[in-house]
Amino acid sequence: MKKRLHGFLTLFLALVVQLSFAQVSSVTGTVTDEDGMSVPGVNVIVKGTNTGAQTDFDGKYSVQAASGDVLVFSYVGFLTQQRVVGTNKTIDVTLAVDAAQLDEVVVTAIGISRSEKELGYNVQTVSAEEIGNKPNADIVNSLAGETSGVEIVSSSGSAGAATFITIRGSASITGNNQPLFIINGMPVASGGGSSGIGGVQTSSRSIDINPDDIATMSVLKGGAATALYGVRAANGAIIITTKTGKNLTERKMEFHSSVGFDVVSQLPELQTKFSQGQDGEWRSGGQYSYGPRISDLEYDGDTDYKWDPNGRLVPKGTGAGIPAQAYDPYEFFQTGITTNNRFNIANGNDQGSYFFSISNFDQEGIIPNDTFERTTLRLNATTKISEKITFGADMAYTSSQANQIQKGSNTSGIMLGLLRTPPTFDNSAGYEFADGTQRNYRNDTGYDNPYWVANNIAFQDDIDRLTGSVNLTADVTDWFNISYNGGVDWYTRRYTDQFKIDSKGNPTGYYAESQSYNTIFNSDLLLNFKHEFTDDFSAKLTVGNNLYSTFSKGLFGDATGLEIPDFYQLSNSSNNTTSSYESEFRTAAVFGDLSFAFKEMLFLGFTGRNDWSTTMPEQNQSAFYPSASLSFVFTQLEALRGNSFLTFGKLRASAARTANIAQPYNTSSPFVAVSGDNNVGDGWTGPNGGVNFPYQGLAGFKLSNGLGNPNLSHENQETWEVGADLRFFNNRLGLDLTYFENKNTDLLMNVPISDASGYGSVFLNAASMETTGIEISLRATPLRTEDFEWSFITNFTKIDNIVTGLAEGVDNVFLGGFVVPQVRAVVGQQYRSIFGNDWYRDDSGNVLINDDPTDNYRDGYPMADNREMVPIGNFNPDWTANITNNITFKNVSLSFLFDIKSGGMMYNGTAFAMNNLGTAKRTEHREVTYTPEGTIDFDATPAENIVVMDGVYGRVDADGNPVSTGVTNVTPVVQDEDWFRKGAGSNFSGGPSVAAMEPADWVRLRNVTLSYDFPKIVENVDNLQLYFTGRNLWIDTPYTGIDPETNLGGATNSQGMDYFNNPGTKTYLVGAKVSF
Amino acid sequence: MKKNKFFKMKSLALVLSLLLISLSSCEKQWIDSDLNIDPDSPADVPMGLILPGAQLAMGFVLVGNDNVRTNNIWTQHFDGVSRQSATEARYQLTSADVGNVWSSTYTSILMNLSVLVEKSKLEGSESPYFRGVAQVMQATTLGITTDIFGDIPFSKALGGGQGNLRPEYDTQEQIYDTIFNILDDAILNLNAEENVLPISGDAIYDGDRSKWTKAAYSIQARHYLQTSNKTGNDAYTNALAAVEKGFASNADDYLVPFEDENRNPIFQFMEQRGDIRMGSTFVDLLLENDDPRLSFYAAEDGDGNYVGSEPGSENALASAPGTYAASPTSSSVMMTFAELKFIEAEARLMMSGGDIALAQAAYEDAVAASVLRVTGEANTEWLDENINGVAVTLASIIKQKYIDGFATNQPYADYRRTGFPNLELAAGAVIPQIPTRFPYPQSEFDYNNENVPSANKLTDKVWWDQ
Repeated sequence: MKKRLHGFLTLFLALVVQLSFAQVSSVTGTVTDEDGMSVPGVNVIVKGTNTGAQTDFDGKYSVQAASGDVLVFSYVGFLTQQRVVGTNKTIDVTLAVDAAQLDEVVVTAIGISRSEKELGYNVQTVSAEEIGNKPNADIVNSLAGETSGVEIVSSSGSAGAATFITIRGSASITGNNQPLFIINGMPVASGGGSSGIGGVQTSSRSIDINPDDIATMSVLKGGAATALYGVRAANGAIIITTKTGKNLTERKMEFHSSVGFDVVSQLPELQTKFSQGQDGEWRSGGQYSYGPRISDLEYDGDTDYKWDPNGRLVPKGTGAGIPAQAYDPYEFFQTGITTNNRFNIANGNDQGSYFFSISNFDQEGIIPNDTFERTTLRLNATTKISEKITFGADMAYTSSQANQIQKGSNTSGIMLGLLRTPPTFDNSAGYEFADGTQRNYRNDTGYDNPYWVANNIAFQDDIDRLTGSVNLTADVTDWFNISYNGGVDWYTRRYTDQFKIDSKGNPTGYYAESQSYNTIFNSDLLLNFKHEFTDDFSAKLTVGNNLYSTFSKGLFGDATGLEIPDFYQLSNSSNNTTSSYESEFRTAAVFGDLSFAFKEMLFLGFTGRNDWSTTMPEQNQSAFYPSASLSFVFTQLEALRGNSFLTFGKLRASAARTANIAQPYNTSSPFVAVSGDNNVGDGWTGPNGGVNFPYQGLAGFKLSNGLGNPNLSHENQETWEVGADLRFFNNRLGLDLTYFENKNTDLLMNVPISDASGYGSVFLNAASMETTGIEISLRATPLRTEDFEWSFITNFTKIDNIVTGLAEGVDNVFLGGFVVPQVRAVVGQQYRSIFGNDWYRDDSGNVLINDDPTDNYRDGYPMADNREMVPIGNFNPDWTANITNNITFKNVSLSFLFDIKSGGMMYNGTAFAMNNLGTAKRTEHREVTYTPEGTIDFDATPAENIVVMDGVYGRVDADGNPVSTGVTNVTPVVQDEDWFRKGAGSNFSGGPSVAAMEPADWVRLRNVTLSYDFPKIVENVDNLQLYFTGRNLWIDTPYTGIDPETNLGGATNSQGMDYFNNPGTKTYLVGAKVSF
Repeated sequence: MKKNKFFKMKSLALVLSLLLISLSSCEKQWIDSDLNIDPDSPADVPMGLILPGAQLAMGFVLVGNDNVRTNNIWTQHFDGVSRQSATEARYQLTSADVGNVWSSTYTSILMNLSVLVEKSKLEGSESPYFRGVAQVMQATTLGITTDIFGDIPFSKALGGGQGNLRPEYDTQEQIYDTIFNILDDAILNLNAEENVLPISGDAIYDGDRSKWTKAAYSIQARHYLQTSNKTGNDAYTNALAAVEKGFASNADDYLVPFEDENRNPIFQFMEQRGDIRMGSTFVDLLLENDDPRLSFYAAEDGDGNYVGSEPGSENALASAPGTYAASPTSSSVMMTFAELKFIEAEARLMMSGGDIALAQAAYEDAVAASVLRVTGEANTEWLDENINGVAVTLASIIKQKYIDGFATNQPYADYRRTGFPNLELAAGAVIPQIPTRFPYPQSEFDYNNENVPSANKLTDKVWWDQ
């Protein structure tokens, strides 16, 4: 590893040394606006060269130029000015606001740069300043709350945990719904991190990007924005441009270090009054916490009892006098520490530029031994081969290692062991005996002690990734240039998964090892033409070609029944399996982009792309995707020009057809090797148990469970959007509005079919979805004085993502989850409904409270309706909003981001199971005394325990149908052990999932950053900044479990499940940046 | 000047068209359709590689957790003591719970057996022997599945490849006819005169056609008897005719083996979940007679005793299942010689003009075979004391068959058919009777709604139980 790094460094440095730079004399000055305020970030370029500089925080610049050179001062929203360098080497400039130029150059599809005003669709750009001080390893987390139309859900607070991102809702039923990531023109691998309901929370590949390398991220949201990407961008695209050395005039070095502290955020409340046991009796090794009151117990002091250092629990007065107590299981969590060191060096001139960075991110999470470490290197360099030809190369290398800890529905899940442990059992009093057996509250059965898990079970993930591309630009004439960008994104992933002998899920031990090799190749050739027909009318045309391929190959081996303890090697067992897999596909495309500009006022654009894909059947390999867009800058109309109230106004409209292709190998139904998973899944045994081949020394194959389809065609997404971009008071107030509609038809999916057909699913162009949404962004600078500035930006998003059709005869399909409940796509409902059992209800939806003393249901309680599963909620928000405030006073800046999610429900399966086990706080009011007649003895039963459940009286008739009396229930009952442990008050005793649905709204202070820029103290130090950042320091949510920004299955379409998920975190971070 | 520009444009157009032509030809090679052939999945495999997966699935699924564990809780061989098993003990079993067993039965067992039947007819590699084996397995699977669910799809099923994605259901009566017909055909095939491809990949009988033939007759006998409430005397005479040619000893038993690398499903369940214990009804029955099979069927509890959990009492301290059904290498029992002798005993006892002495002999042979199979020893003394010479009745036959059939689906079928043994309702029962069938799976309501019978209560009776 070290050797390899060394090799890369040598290569990088060799390239750096190759570049040399000319020397000229310095010109300095200050740039101010018409109010006399200094303007930072103004580009100062020596005309006709690539030499230039940017103004600093005080508007000051220094640029190398000779007498007679022309300096060009340009800045977004201001009129560009030119000054000739004379004998005076100080040139101060006042820039005037330019209404027509109130926009930025944004990078759009295939790397085509466009002035924002030309765009007929909504693109939002996030800059380095907005993400640079955030403490996230995965750049996607830093996008959270920065834009409209984007939803981001972090799967947990575990180190390196995956994050799920969607733009403008979902466009696929069972396929990928996450956007395409492009870095400097190269599409890169970004997905991954979906985990199922157990196991560990692995990373998404977007975590391989060093956030400090990023200059800007453009979020391309709609079809017109992404149509040029054809089959790969139906879910939107994130276009990342890294920092470069372009336009620097002297070498610039930056050091950036930070240290962060993670603490566990919200946790479920636990009961602390009742001991381990059931029916009011203490039970050694019992699974429930329905024992006697802790205050009535003491330890017997028997040191032969190995499960507790103080002995067994006995009634007070009969033991050794050591009082029983409730332990705090949450002491398990530790303060996580993250250090992050980054360095970059860059330079550039008219002959070329380079940017080199190196970074190291090292995190230990809140769970002991939960770690993630990442090292990155990047070198971007350009050089001029001739006056007209520029050659550039980008290289990025990432190495990451993670050690991930078990979570979720898993006998080794950290939270599962922790939250099921009775309050009277102290997990921390030793997790292993001298003979290697385990100490846990179930007397070495059931679930693993979480300390045992953290120390004895390890999932180690190891990534090496190299992304490299070359680009060539030839300016053939002033109206024609050719550009080429070709590259490779290559990574290997190796992971090992080890379970020590005596883990409850793998009692004989388990070891697995996997290696995979993944490559993306991409080639883009672009021919760019432009022509000015008249001064007012011009056109640009780009035609191009794209070739793309992906290839991955993997090898997996595992072993159960380890012979030598603590020795993790595949050969350490006679019981091992191996398998391998391979996947490859290619696409090719030709495309064109034609745009017209009239009087800087009307911009009309068309794009077309034809794609061919090897994953489609031969007759349907090709598909054509067009788009059209119109931008009308109406403030360019004579009558509206120079208006100081409405400085800039633009209306835009666009429409496009984009789509998706099938994944490889869906056109036929071959045989597959038999494995435990595909042959005998019973929902009880496995995932590492089950049965695998060879069986009785025989190899095995079976018909694939999925029926292929030789008649597949491309998916179809028709989208349109309209919007307005309005800026008032010289850009002090900006409002951007967008309305969009996406209609997806012929969506490809594995349509579940009757198993009796011999297959579980058939691959079809079947489903349709409709998404409509509103995106509003408001930017304002309410206060600005010489020393003080307050600005804010707020984004609002409302998206309706409705499944309008699945396949014929199918009105819902499984996306993920348990036997009950599940996340499903249901026709007529928001995408990804949670599907489970409900209470019996009357026609008006009132819960029926049983009033029939002769049946098997308890009177005064609701009754679970297990006849069929129904939609019981949805994780999708009604709307989301975020507000970022930036307050600057002299050298001090304060930025804070509130993130609001309104609406959306989550399945709190954790709480539901804790009811059964008697560890949830809500089970504390369990004591009830009955009179001899069987009614509640109101004198003996604590008043706070008595409740009347919401609903109306009713019953279930002999045919199983609900019958309502319509009379409101007033029967007092107690939610006692019979209700929670044996009745419908929990999932394990037949309770309906609907009882575990909880609102998952939130308002959170997602980010707060306080920074201080030191005044210039040392000559060679350009800037020194100290900052403090906090993440998720405050969360307001009705959700009673962990932080509701979580998902059991990780980065997957089935969102909204919490079942002993690992908790979220709050982060406190201090950092320093210094540049020379 | 103008001319110059024109030439420039013309040459540019030429360059561009050349470029596009070369690109498009390059694209033809780039977009290679053969890339879409899955390198990991063969388009075809020989029969000997398909058979083991279907056999393993049959043992794991039909006699594993989702079928046997649940219905043996209901027959009180087991008791569910926590989580979903405790729910099942109170007779809650929802459509969602049976999805796994249903899908494995159709897609892993029946579909692959149907592929075998078709492949066995291929010209040049005809194999009536292979077909016979697949047919016996088909009949076994259909029998267990219909006895649990009632009406199920078969004659229109397994046609996904031909476009029939929503198969109609056959009545249980039709399924029974199918079972008998398939087995008749299987017997012919297994004894065919010409056969090109020999049986391979057979984990059950290692290609022994005579044992497969006996298994075919034995399964026939099982299901002829099962129709006793419907066809009366025919059930007994047909069953007896089949018994004649069925298993001749324990060595013929129809078992799906498990091994240390591929462990018995109930063992895996106990290891990973542990949510069941022995039922008190069953344990008490064995204790009553000091039955030598008890220590094989049940494990000792923490105090060294054999204790069952009373139905619905969730007594997690009761005895766990023992080594007979829940060791790593315990076989899944598809059918035994002992069961065949019980069938013979019942048929001889119940048929009009039956011979009670022969019934008595078959009953005694049955119990002896059972004790030998379970304990590995003859235990003649115990048999003489408790079984031999004690006048046989239907109740005693079914009681012993109930003991013999531990960890199989047969006691549940016999209980519904005969009402023996007498079982009390579990504590906390949510319905007033022991369920008489499994519900159809949720997936059938979701994806085959027009065909799945709408009557789906646990208390509905299957055809032979009506």
